[in-house]
Amino acid sequence: MNTRIAMLMRKAPYGSVYPAEGFRAMMGIAVFELDVCLVFMDAGVGVLAKGQDPSALDMKPLGDGFAALSDVGITEVYVHDESLAERGLSPEDLVLPARVVSAAEITEILESCTSVLSF
Amino acid sequence: MNIGVMLLDGPYQHQGADSAYQFIKAALARGHQIAGVFLFADGVNNANQFISPPGERNIAERFEELGKLGIPIVACTACAKFRGLRPNIKVEHVQLSGLGSLAEFLKQADRFVTFSA
Repeated sequence: MNTRIAMLMRKAPYGSVYPAEGFRAMMGIAVFELDVCLVFMDAGVGVLAKGQDPSALDMKPLGDGFAALSDVGITEVYVHDESLAERGLSPEDLVLPARVVSAAEITEILESCTSVLSF
Repeated sequence: MNIGVMLLDGPYQHQGADSAYQFIKAALARGHQIAGVFLFADGVNNANQFISPPGERNIAERFEELGKLGIPIVACTACAKFRGLRPNIKVEHVQLSGLGSLAEFLKQADRFVTFSA
């Protein structure tokens, strides 16, 4: 069985290092011939929001990096429908074409993976 | 079962480092194997050999103890640079290496557990 990793991103884009480190981990392991899929839920959906400008925090916009995912062969990106709606976001507000999925579908996605990395 | 572990928390601020250690001890006691432990983000600070908590459990010694058992324990090199954890500061049986080690643990592990705040 191929090693298939789900990266679960649940934390807001700024305020902690977790989403940025999740991005680094994802880029790092994707080059080692692991299948990686990304799941954004809870405050983590904000990581994909367009138009981020964290310059006042001396940070770089996280969304820009995620927009280039296909360059490292990551094509499966899922976003939790309710988390998106709770924050007034729609798929058009995201930096990349993500598939909007229900909590039940996320359960199936995680079950299809050999391991889950939570950030 | 072969179990991989990632730890994102530093020592003492949250429960993560203690839980990771207790989890690994319990897993070993039940006859499981540990594919490896990847110390990521603040997790690298658990490998600081100068940790010296008066009258309390020494978290760095705990990871050193696991490393001495032959469990691969790897602290992320880049995270260590961000936090000034130079090679001569870390405990002996924790290695500094990159995300390739995490990828390797993920490949070997039947289950993978993340400890984080």
